[in-house]
Amino acid sequence: MCFKNLPIEFDEQGRMTLREDAARSFGLEQRPRNPGPQPLSDQQIKTLLARNGYIRDVDFDPVTRIAGALAFHAVTDLQERKVLTTNSMATLFRGYEVIMVGRDPRDAIFITSRACGVCGGVHSATAALATEMAIGVVPPPLGVIVRNLMLEMEFEYDHPLHLFLLAGPDYSQLMVEQTNPEVWEKAKTYLAPGRDWHGYETIADIMRDLNPLQGKLYLEALHMTRVAREGLCFLAGKYPHPETIVPAGVSTTVSLQTFNEFYVRLQKFFDYAKKVCAIWDDITEFFYAANPLYKETGRRQKSMADTGCWDDPDIYDGTFVNCDKWGERRWATPGVIIEGELVTTKLTAVNAGLEEFVDRSFYHNWEGNSFPHDPLGNPLSPFHPWNKQTLPKPSGTNWKEKYSWACSPRWDRQTVEAGCYARIWTTAAGQKLRPNPFMESTGTSLKMLMPQGTLPEKELEWKIPEVWNAFERNRARAYCIAFNVTAAMNDWLKGLDLLKHGKTEVSTPFEIPQKGQQRGVGFWGAGRGWLTHHAVLQDGVVANYQIVTPSTINASPRDPWDHPGPYEEAVLNTPLLETFSDPADFKGIDILRTIRSFDPCMPCTTHIFAGDRVITREVNTCACGVDEEENDHTH
Amino acid sequence: MRSLIAGVGYINLSDSSIGPIAAAELKKEPWPANVSVEDLSYGPIGVVHTLQDASPRYDRLVLITAADFGAKPPALRWSRWSSLLPDPTEVQRRIEEAITGVIDWKNLLVILQQFEAIPSEVFVIAIQPVKTDFGMELTPGVSALLPEILRVARELAMKEAAAVVSV
Repeated sequence: MCFKNLPIEFDEQGRMTLREDAARSFGLEQRPRNPGPQPLSDQQIKTLLARNGYIRDVDFDPVTRIAGALAFHAVTDLQERKVLTTNSMATLFRGYEVIMVGRDPRDAIFITSRACGVCGGVHSATAALATEMAIGVVPPPLGVIVRNLMLEMEFEYDHPLHLFLLAGPDYSQLMVEQTNPEVWEKAKTYLAPGRDWHGYETIADIMRDLNPLQGKLYLEALHMTRVAREGLCFLAGKYPHPETIVPAGVSTTVSLQTFNEFYVRLQKFFDYAKKVCAIWDDITEFFYAANPLYKETGRRQKSMADTGCWDDPDIYDGTFVNCDKWGERRWATPGVIIEGELVTTKLTAVNAGLEEFVDRSFYHNWEGNSFPHDPLGNPLSPFHPWNKQTLPKPSGTNWKEKYSWACSPRWDRQTVEAGCYARIWTTAAGQKLRPNPFMESTGTSLKMLMPQGTLPEKELEWKIPEVWNAFERNRARAYCIAFNVTAAMNDWLKGLDLLKHGKTEVSTPFEIPQKGQQRGVGFWGAGRGWLTHHAVLQDGVVANYQIVTPSTINASPRDPWDHPGPYEEAVLNTPLLETFSDPADFKGIDILRTIRSFDPCMPCTTHIFAGDRVITREVNTCACGVDEEENDHTH
Repeated sequence: MRSLIAGVGYINLSDSSIGPIAAAELKKEPWPANVSVEDLSYGPIGVVHTLQDASPRYDRLVLITAADFGAKPPALRWSRWSSLLPDPTEVQRRIEEAITGVIDWKNLLVILQQFEAIPSEVFVIAIQPVKTDFGMELTPGVSALLPEILRVARELAMKEAAAVVSV
């Protein structure tokens, strides 16, 4: 019984049914349990403000300068060093759901790919999966393998970028020396336990090479993104936005040479994974030792969800009817973790538990419940993506009402987060992995064998952590570099085997039905976690299309029960450990570390249309920097 | 002298999409071997890799984009890009933007410069947009400027280095 809040019961055969007493309201009148922190009320904050001059509003707009798409508002008490209340705002309207309506479903592969400038292939793949489920077509085995390999390599592009070019500078000498000089002093003499694998004697040595623009780890990550991109392009033709991903396979011609070229790039990650895991192990343990309160940075309940990815070509048939079976055979096991417990690995339950609320978002609620059941007859909420309609309602920001263009995805009406760490966690806990030479799920850890490179072969083991916080998110992301390698090695060997046996087909011909209604869902994942596309086709065109991205989940505003979204909750729990004597010097590094640990990517959440304030900077930055004196020609 | 004419910008954002639109138009034309045309709207880090790999390296980049240069829209301006890098903090911020998906001409040039992938001569052909929100076509005013944009791009790319200022 995986649902505690949704009014769904399971019979002896594991089939879901709607509780009779909830047939009309779907249980919305029941307040779901929420183990997370409760923010202070407006009145409580006003009272504190009146008596305490150290309380101030802190706006991070934008948190990562990500096109101004994410703004974060926090009220902090700098004397007590606490965060009192938080609001995460997506400030741009995405609109891909609106653009897709009335189009040929194949257009989704190319249009939705543009939802993000970082996740350049996963939207295409997820759109292809949604379409192939809707029209009932399945790729040949090598088509499945090539798709897996593409997206395993895409994640090898994403993770180093985040760990060393985005998050890394927050742990660099330049940052730590400035925000926490006492921590920097400790780092100078703290011996790095992983020095045999990464080559750094002390933590300070690591921090120096995390410095932006010049640090060796920073520049090495930049290089590794090139390696991943090259590997990906051998299979995808180009990246981002590959045009070789189609429903029922890929349009790439692959040969032994293609596989060899891919392997040359993949093997460069054997040693890199060993090194990166050792670095983030050492950084994490050092900060815990320097100040145990760092375990509270970005802490939130251990609740997360993932759809899994990387299919088994021997069983994947693209149907919803069999999705529990093929889902559990993926190299990354689908699943949901609630307060540390794995509650399901079934894609039908992962799907049925999903709802999207817009009570705090700039959208109208919608009427009706077009699909009360999934294709297997399991009950679906009126707020499920197959029932959702995107009805924009631009309005002013009001923290107590509507304040974001992101909606509030919830699973079983609980706040879950998305991330590649959810993927490794559900796989580690799930013990569903089929026999293979490279990885083993123990129930409490994932063991991954990294082949010999320049460094010797090593078994890496990611252990389910005791606490869940910003440091553990980054550590898990480092281990995901190894996870990607193990999945890719398995798929690469399978692909070679298929080639050897002459099974070289990579796609299956199909036609889009021009009559009737079809439904499909693409369950996949981005580098930063959960990704689903729910599609409804009617007479050959898209009647409804709903995308749930990881950043929509993580940056979501409060839900109808006032439960905060993951960013909001994690920041509320974050102690302000930064060293400062004057509030004017406060930089908010602990808050930034927390938000960045989620690998935020708001272009994923919001993109196409924007209000004047932000879009001006995003696409039409001022022209200063151009030499205006010598060669200026204005027409 | 090897030249690259490139567009940069988002698609489907009305006049903001002038870069990709102009690049697509110029790609239809025959070009001598020393001139290439590309749409560089795929993220500055990827463009760094592409330009570092170019063999031989490009000597001149002619970039077409939308930019706010304070003119009454629609307007067209072309200028030489100054080679002054912002301070490292600002460069890092632009890298953060770039790797979280922002496509922006100025970020592109700063990042190319930071990683020494920028050609020695860079010209920016910019339009002052009329409309920047969702739209699959240029506004009539900017559309009318398109032939001139293409002409300037051709001339900047083809001229010998010493003669560039006379376009």
